Order: sequence, then C-alpha cells, then structure tokens
Amino acid sequence: MTAEPLVALRGIEKTFGSIAALRGVDLDLFAGECLGLVGDNAAGKSTLTKILAGVHEPDRGSIIVAGEDVRFPDPAAARARRIEMVFQDLSLCDTIDVAGNLFLGREIARSGFLRKRAMIDAAREMLAGLQIRIPNLTATVGSLSGGQRQSIAIARAASFDPLVLIMDEPTSALAVAEVEAVLTLIRHVKARGVAVVLITHRLQDLFRVCDRIAVMYEGLKVAERRIGETSLEDLVSLIVGSGGA
Amino acid sequence: MNASARPAGSRRADFLIRYAPVLSIAGFAVICLIFFAWGSPYFLSGGNMLNLFRQSAPLLIVAIAMTFVITTGGIDLSVGSTVALVNALAAIALQAGLAWPLVVILMLGVGAIVGGVQGWFSAYQGIPSFIVTLAFLTGLRGFALLLTRGYSIPIAPGSWFDVLGRGSLGPLPVPALLALATAFVGFVVLDGTTYGRHVTAVGANLEAARRAGIPARRIAASVFVLSGIAAALAGLITAARLGSGSSNAAVGFELEVIAAVVLGGTSLFGGTGTIVGTVLGTLTIAMIGNGLILMHVSPFFTEIATGAIILGAVWLNARVFARLAGPGRRQ
Ligand SMILES: Nc1ncnc2c1ncn2[C@@H]1O[C@H](COP(=O)(O)OP(=O)(O)O)[C@@H](O)[C@H]1O
Ligand SMILES: [Mg+2]
Repeated sequence: MTAEPLVALRGIEKTFGSIAALRGVDLDLFAGECLGLVGDNAAGKSTLTKILAGVHEPDRGSIIVAGEDVRFPDPAAARARRIEMVFQDLSLCDTIDVAGNLFLGREIARSGFLRKRAMIDAAREMLAGLQIRIPNLTATVGSLSGGQRQSIAIARAASFDPLVLIMDEPTSALAVAEVEAVLTLIRHVKARGVAVVLITHRLQDLFRVCDRIAVMYEGLKVAERRIGETSLEDLVSLIVGSGGA
Repeated sequence: MNASARPAGSRRADFLIRYAPVLSIAGFAVICLIFFAWGSPYFLSGGNMLNLFRQSAPLLIVAIAMTFVITTGGIDLSVGSTVALVNALAAIALQAGLAWPLVVILMLGVGAIVGGVQGWFSAYQGIPSFIVTLAFLTGLRGFALLLTRGYSIPIAPGSWFDVLGRGSLGPLPVPALLALATAFVGFVVLDGTTYGRHVTAVGANLEAARRAGIPARRIAASVFVLSGIAAALAGLITAARLGSGSSNAAVGFELEVIAAVVLGGTSLFGGTGTIVGTVLGTLTIAMIGNGLILMHVSPFFTEIATGAIILGAVWLNARVFARLAGPGRRQ
C-alpha cells in the first residue's frame, strides 16, 4: 500500500487492573478499505476499537488521523473526527424511541427545542435507505427485538457520513437477509471512501467484503493478511494461536 | 386491559402502554377527588381549592425539579434541608435590611450553589447521589440550626416580599401561579428540548449517552442545580407565607416530594420521567391531606392513609403497567 493511511494506531497499550488488554498494537486503516479484525474472545478487539472511538484512552501509544497526532479524551472528540462505531453492546437508550436513538447526541433542534416531526421523517428515510423495516418509529427501543435493536445501532453509526466506520460484531443477532443488507452497506460505504473496521466471528463474511484481515491474540496483533493471500484454514489456525505471523 | 387480545401495531394499545403510569395516577386523582367531594361539601368549593393550590405550591415546585433528578437515575434527599436553610437565611437577610429583590436573587443563588456542589460530588466524583444528598440533608439542617440557634426569625410584614407567599393575582394565589409556571416550563423542557432528551438519555443508559457524544456528567450534575434552585424558591415562598424563617421548616419534605414524583409514574431506575404525572401525584397527595382534615379525620391518621395510598397506588401502577407492557422488557 503506497497511500498514506487515513488512521494509524501506533504502539497502543491498555491495562485494566491486572489485565493487559492491549500490549502494543499497530494498525493502519485506509480510505475505501474494509479491515476485518478477528481473534479469540478477550483478544482485545473491542478494547482496540473503543480506543479509536474515544471510549477508552490508551495508557501508551498514539492515534494519527490524516497525518495528525490526535487525542480522544471522550467519545465526542472521536465523533467530531467522524469516527463512528457500532458497539458490541449496542449502547442504545431503551426508554427512548427509535427516532430519538438514531439522533442521540445530534438531535435536530431549533434553538434548543426538539423537532420531533423532522427527526421521525429523517429517521424513516435513514432506515429505508438501509432497507431496515421498523414499523413504529415512536416505539421505545427497549420493546424491540434483538435484530431490530442491532439494525438501529448500525443505522445510527452509518448514517451521519462517517470517515471511519467501526462495527463490533454487528450481525450477531441478525437474520440472513439482514446480514446481507449489512454486507451490502459495507460495500456501499467503502465505495464512498469510508474506512471500515469489521469485527466478526463469521469468517466467511470477511471474505466477501474485507480487503485485509488483522488477527489478534491475547492483546497483540499476531498477523495481517491481504484477503487474496489467506484462506479460512489459515485464519482459523492464526486465531487459535497455532500459526505464526 | 387484556394484553393477549392486543392486535399488532394497534395505536390504542401503544398509547395505553406508553401512558399507563400517567393514566393510572390520573384515575387515582379522580377517585380521590370524587371521594372527598362526597365526604365533605366544602372540599370542592373555590376557596378550598385555591387554598389547596396555595399550600401545595412548594411541594409541586420541588417535585418538578425532582422529576428531572430522578429521571437521570439520581435522587435528592437534601431539598427539605435546603428549604430550611433558605427559609432561615432569607429571614436573617431581610431582618438585616437587605432589599427583598436582592434577597430573592441571593437565595436562588444559594440553592444553585448547594445543588451544584452536590451534583459535582455525585456526577464527577462518582459518589452515589443518595449518599451525597443524605450528607447534605444532615449538614444543611445543622447549618440552619446554627444560624438561627433554633429560634424562629420574624420577617417584618408590609414589604413586597409577602406577596411571594400570600399575594393573589385576581383570585389566583401567587405561589400557585409560580408552581403552575414551574410545571409548565418543566413539561416543555423535559419533553420538548434537547436538554430534556439528554436528561432522559443519561438516566436510561449513562454510558450510551456518553458514547453518543452527550456531556453525560455535566447533565447528571445539572439536575441538582435545578433541584437546589427549586428548593430555594420553595423556601422563599414558605418564609413569605408564614412571615418568619425557621430552621425547623420542611422536616420530611424530601420524602413527600419523592412520593409525589414516584406516585406520578416517574421510574426510580431513571430513564422515564413524566411532568404531567408529577403534577397529578402532587395534587393527589395534597388532596389526601386536605380532604381528610375536612372530613375531621385525625391528622395522625392522615399520615397512615398517605403512606398506604402511596404504596397502593404505586403497586397498582406497577401491576397495570407490567400487564399492559406484556412480557417484553423487565426493568
Ligand atoms: N472496561 C473493562 N474493565 C476491565 N477489563 C476489561 C474492560 N474491557 C475489557 N476488559 C478486558 O480486556 C480484555 C480484552 O477484552 P475485549 O477487548 O473485550 O476482547 P474481545 O473484544 O476481543 O473479545 C478481556 O480480558 C477483558 O476482560
Ligand atoms: Mg468484543
């Protein structure tokens, strides 16, 4: 790759109490490319991506966005850099309605007053654009199914013109057709020049949308492969830790 | 109220589920109204109704602010002591000859600062608001006692300050108007503004709110400034109504306020607050106190009845609400 990376993580370390969740990870993200991030449970995938989304601050290491060294003291700072993330736990507000969750933190308002009608109309358009069917946009999110909730979290991250879109196991609760819609979405945003990070245990999906795959093992990045240079068997052996970098 | 017969997507069912808590307290308020109207011919008279509104104004004002606090998932136990402190401070300041508008502004400032400090401890230092405000409940009351040495301090009558507690605009008592204005503003802010939406979001899922870029801590702290200001306003109204300031004012007031809010259907778990419910809950508690006295029931019994009714109403509310909402979400 000759182009300059859109985002570069360098030497990222993060410790929670006695657990070294990340032990010095480098990762590059390129515009218009999808990076698959795989690894066993507790390998550190979520922690690494949460650092990029501003949820955690790294103990050591740097985040470079478009050549500029940045710090994300909170998620708002990452959002301001147009880095969006679908969290593994979805991070929705159960007692707030669908439209309210889609616009959480960037409500459509006129001098402080919510424009609920406008948000519902825009929400309907957002969901239709991603082929997500939710009949009642004023229903609280807590009353929806797991798949619907996941779809809302994806729509929220993908709809506000991100530069980087991180998806942490976004398809775990989705039906077959919905998974297809997510893969289509990834192809679309890639074509628009978005850098995508996809964390998933469904390895076959990676081969359909990703350009590169990074494998993590116990807090380290143990391998990185271009999609044409690897196979399912290769990845499996890397994930369980029996392969080499 | 048959959940199994609910057709998918019925607007009426959606409406019932969403507003079940408010509908149930509204039903309860109407039952109280009918019961006391039947029990005492004087209950529904204009004079008594205006009196009821005048007397319950401090409760309503603080309950509106408490609705914001509880919606974020917090609690403010210090409001009664803040009322007492402001009550005493206002009387002392007026006695010392300070102009009444200045006293009003100063006292509201005291409320804001007291609330802000508590908000900082709970939101930024991570100490549960129950503990922080419990400490202030004790401390502020002690401070008020120290200032007054336990005596009641008279406020010289005849100044415009009296209007706050005893004045009327036409037939309407000034305290009641202040309370109605507070309720109206509270309703618009909680239901219709970005700030109100963020208050709800913080109570529903603080970490999710933070991840959505909302300044979650600042929001969680700010509601205590609101309850502090509201308690100060209540303290001013009480001082003006009684014509004196006393450090023994509003003992147990915080529990009455919390009861009114919870009775109204606001969830103690946070994330669901209703101003309409709080207004109805406050009026119900006020009606029970007023109605039982008119029916010549012993005031001691009033306390027992209020307690029983709160438990009964919240229980009914929880049952009806759980039934209507179906097996879906469990809080
Ligand atoms: N907030 C946290 N507090 C304490 N430990 C954490 C926290 N987040 C993650 N960890 C720990 O860090 C390690 C990596 O976790 P995570 O990044 O979630 O792994 P993955 O997403 O690859 O399954 C795990 O051992 C996990 O228990
Ligand atoms: Mg994870």
